[in-house]
Amino acid sequence: MSVTSPLQSPRRRIDVGGALLTVLTAICAALWFFPVYWAIATSLRADDETVTEFSLIPTNPTLANYIFDIENSNLPIWYLNSTIVSVSVTVIAVFMAACTGYAISQLNFPGRKALWLTIMASFMVPVSALIVNHFIIIAGVGLLNSHLGIILPMLLTPVTVIVYKQFFDGLPREFREAAVMDGASELQLLFRVFLPMNWGITTALAIITFIGAWNSFLWPFLAAQDETMMTVTVGITAVQDEFGIAYGRVLAGAVLASLPVALAYLFFQRRVTQAITLSAGIKG
Amino acid sequence: MASVDLKGISKRYGAVEVINNLDLTVDEGSFCALLGPSGCGKSTLLRMIAGLEAISEGRAFIGGVDVTNLAPSQRRVAMVFQSYALYPHLTVRDNICFSLSLAGISREIQRAKAAEIAKMLQLEELLDRRPAQLSGGQRQRVAIGRALVRAPEVFLFDEPLSNLDALLRVQMRLELAKLHQNLKTTMIYVTHDQVEAMTLADKIVVLDKGRISQAGAPLELYNSPANKFVASFIGSPAMNFFPGGVKSADASSVTVEMNGGAQIQIRRRHPNSATPSSPLEVGIRPEHISILDSGDKAAITTGTVQIVEQLGNSTIAYVDTPIGPLVVEGDGGIAIAPNDNISLSLDTTRAHMFGADGHVI
Repeated sequence: MSVTSPLQSPRRRIDVGGALLTVLTAICAALWFFPVYWAIATSLRADDETVTEFSLIPTNPTLANYIFDIENSNLPIWYLNSTIVSVSVTVIAVFMAACTGYAISQLNFPGRKALWLTIMASFMVPVSALIVNHFIIIAGVGLLNSHLGIILPMLLTPVTVIVYKQFFDGLPREFREAAVMDGASELQLLFRVFLPMNWGITTALAIITFIGAWNSFLWPFLAAQDETMMTVTVGITAVQDEFGIAYGRVLAGAVLASLPVALAYLFFQRRVTQAITLSAGIKG
Repeated sequence: MASVDLKGISKRYGAVEVINNLDLTVDEGSFCALLGPSGCGKSTLLRMIAGLEAISEGRAFIGGVDVTNLAPSQRRVAMVFQSYALYPHLTVRDNICFSLSLAGISREIQRAKAAEIAKMLQLEELLDRRPAQLSGGQRQRVAIGRALVRAPEVFLFDEPLSNLDALLRVQMRLELAKLHQNLKTTMIYVTHDQVEAMTLADKIVVLDKGRISQAGAPLELYNSPANKFVASFIGSPAMNFFPGGVKSADASSVTVEMNGGAQIQIRRRHPNSATPSSPLEVGIRPEHISILDSGDKAAITTGTVQIVEQLGNSTIAYVDTPIGPLVVEGDGGIAIAPNDNISLSLDTTRAHMFGADGHVI
């Protein structure tokens, strides 16, 4: 007589709905990834093969397009410009957002509520609606075609302030009080207690700010008309003009332009997801 | 160590008055417990002493110095919070030394201080751990260590044991008592647990709705409560209360007739005061009621046992009597069971009378 133990695991049932969903997701992922893959594959083909060869894997892979782009365009300068702009925007914007979020969350000062409402309202205004004002102001102070001119309007990151404010709001009051009793100043409270308590938030916000700054196109496109001041995203449009229909070179430029962001995402995947989750609740 | 003097202290949040014109002196080196139910203002009072809440009215003095408008860090006090408030990103050593680090004390001195305190609190093995890796009791000790390192004149404790389980609470209570004995520093301790207050403090301040209901030594409050609130709050199981009519009164005692017709004579706490008006309320602690053999002449009333709790060292019986429901506490292992009819006598020398305003007569 066979006896079934109550502890014995039941036979695994095939989850048809789940399997279908997985297949559908895989198809969507493949559809999304194919153009990316095709761009990389094309950038690795010789110039004459880009419009004649349609195999999935390049038969004679070459880095000639990359070498050509680096040697015959301002790509290294654009890379440098993008790095200066993105790093500056990341450091300054995250620092300002942490300070602002802390002040609004933890300090009592006249106009605190008005400041908070202004920040809340400002992230509802799309950047494109402000672009003309930005251009007039930056041109007015003579900062067009300068790193500072590109950086300044990109420092407005209300979502980062909101994320920080919510994080500081959620911290138990006792941490602040214990530090105050220990003699901490407001700056010590922020930089020695509150921020180190969860560096994850700062890291996550820094990564998405960096990615946003690196990928940003519209404002750098308007602010940097001089080719030596262009960022890489703006510069690759010039590559297209310079190389005509040399698809391999154009796509090699595009791959190079997106490489830092792709690497940032690969290395900090978890943090990027965390940042997107943090800001998603705000963006709605 | 320093004394703490509060003179005419009030705290208002808009129209709501949480602390009302309160005067309190905590002697140098004493252990004072602020005791009361939730919302009575005890934590607010402690936070006002710490400087974490502004004082709406009155003055606060620590060691004779007016600290009313001083920042918390300048008051020479240290506080242990209910949630411990240990910085999660710092090790035990860094938590203990945080105030020294803020003050710019050298790393060597910080390490030496941390080692000294860790030895005192048996935290030596834990110095490199983070708070998340500690048990509740260990966290509590680190919180105390963080307060100790500042060598404060006054320690403030805000319900520090309420997050611990019952066994650990008893153990930590003992450690706190030892700490006070060793340091002799003034300690002010907020709790709603009267057992903690009774066992630790040499002075208990019972607060009710932002006012001091009674302040004194633990046994003074237990044996001579000033009012019904204190009588009911101190003692476990709580004091029994039942109504009584004034039959006769002289300068030193009052004869009270209880429901069912039995009469008892109770000594006045305030001799020669005016004859109390009827009805009044009689209070007697469970351990001052004795269970007698059936038919014993000394019995004042009889009753039916409803529930019996055998605690080993004592027996607690819930008895329905003509006087009203009574809780009786006797020796351990008394052979009674629910529905038993028993006779009871009351130690009237230990009974209290309370007037309509709740004050003791």
